[in-house]
Amino acid sequence: MSSPQFTLYAHIGPNPWKVVFLLEELGLTYKLAHVDTSKNEHKEAPYVLLNPNGRMPTLVDHHNNDFAIWESGAIMLYLIEKYDTQKKLSFEKFESEALAKQYLMFQMSGQGPYFGQAVWFEVYHPEKVPSASDRYMAEIKRIVTVLNTILEGRNWLVEDKCSYADLSFIPWMWLFDWPVMKMSNWREVPEYKNVVRWYDAMEAMECVKKTKEIRATEFKMPSS
Amino acid sequence: MASTLANRTKLITRHLTTAAKSIMSDAKHPITLYTAQTPNGVKVSILLEELGLPYNVRTISFDKTEQKEPWFLEINPNGRIPALTDSSFDNGKGINLMESGCILQYLVETYDKDHKISYPHGTAEYWDVQQWVYFQNAGVGPMQGQANHFYRYAPEKIPYGINRYQTETARLYGVLNTRLEQQAKKGSGFLVGDKLTIADITTYGWVRSAGWAGIDIENFPALKKWEELLDEREGFKKGRDVPTPSRIKEMAKDEEAAKREAAKASAWIMKKD
Repeated sequence: MSSPQFTLYAHIGPNPWKVVFLLEELGLTYKLAHVDTSKNEHKEAPYVLLNPNGRMPTLVDHHNNDFAIWESGAIMLYLIEKYDTQKKLSFEKFESEALAKQYLMFQMSGQGPYFGQAVWFEVYHPEKVPSASDRYMAEIKRIVTVLNTILEGRNWLVEDKCSYADLSFIPWMWLFDWPVMKMSNWREVPEYKNVVRWYDAMEAMECVKKTKEIRATEFKMPSS
Repeated sequence: MASTLANRTKLITRHLTTAAKSIMSDAKHPITLYTAQTPNGVKVSILLEELGLPYNVRTISFDKTEQKEPWFLEINPNGRIPALTDSSFDNGKGINLMESGCILQYLVETYDKDHKISYPHGTAEYWDVQQWVYFQNAGVGPMQGQANHFYRYAPEKIPYGINRYQTETARLYGVLNTRLEQQAKKGSGFLVGDKLTIADITTYGWVRSAGWAGIDIENFPALKKWEELLDEREGFKKGRDVPTPSRIKEMAKDEEAAKREAAKASAWIMKKD
């Protein structure tokens, strides 16, 4: 068997898995390289030679002169534009692509950073800082209600098809089902009903199920 | 049932068209920028100036919470600035866009056909631009914004919050500084390739506001040099003063003025939305 086309440098955190959804759904071959943050591997050579920001993920395309690209949003666009020639997860129309990129940017600059701060202050920070916790919990709830408004009367963010833009929101949404976030009743909240329907439709997709399996078996889940 | 639905759709469509027309009635140009004097707002005006594109400016007043008004939420459901509409898009069908990073990508892909400040789609430089644009929009912007919050706006002083976000912002500035040192060795003063791109434009407004977040630019000499290079460009001079003159540098130096401004901004930032 020939060696896989891609190496994806990953850790347990949410961002690498957006890329795995695409690799799975597009049927591309890849291997996962586990970057061990407990050993500080993400801050040292050789990893920082690939990604000067020392964050995961980074993708290397062995069929394109070992082209390396980082920032999960840029990686997703690279895979889509180069390898989704059948438009399985993207669009023919320039307008639809413009909107898909808009939602991807909203995920990258809105959902990701604020969900990240919320989980830090709710779960990881050793000391309770109520005003910071409240700030970020309020912001992530606001972001989910914005998504809910966008999804009113429609199944997907753009056209009537699941795209990379929809999938990009999934890994951070997993936080809502994580017991320590104390959000487990979110499915009953009327302001989130469209998001629940949309999220569950994606959770039922083969590429998402497979990605979750890989994440759970190959990467140690943090105890919750 | 089906006909009722069709009627409702027609009514809604008519309503939206009227709303869009009334907003655009005084518009001279196809492009309208909805903005305020912030690092995210000036990205778009700087790019429009660099491309020499004419545009209408609609100032969004945070004091009046205009960013949450229904007509604006129709353009940007997230209720943030900047937003951009382009009525010439798709043979006059028009498009509404939110997210500054996406707006920059849209403008260069639509209007910079001869690649004055961009690289052809799919080239290595094109992807390099994408990763640095995301680095700013997902990293520098959100983290420096949190530093501003805890350092300037939060009603309660939380040393941990200030320290956490200033440290992360400084780390990200270090990544930019190293990158610019490497670029200088190749004879380039820009983040990607050998010319100005949206990677520089998206980052500039935030670096210019370093002092407001309590970050000392003197610790990042290559980044400071880059900022000074961009300061001198006509497009940057014009674009950074939209919709009102940029005073962030002067304010960050004047403690009293900074306190007054922070208190004013804090009043609307702390409003629940």
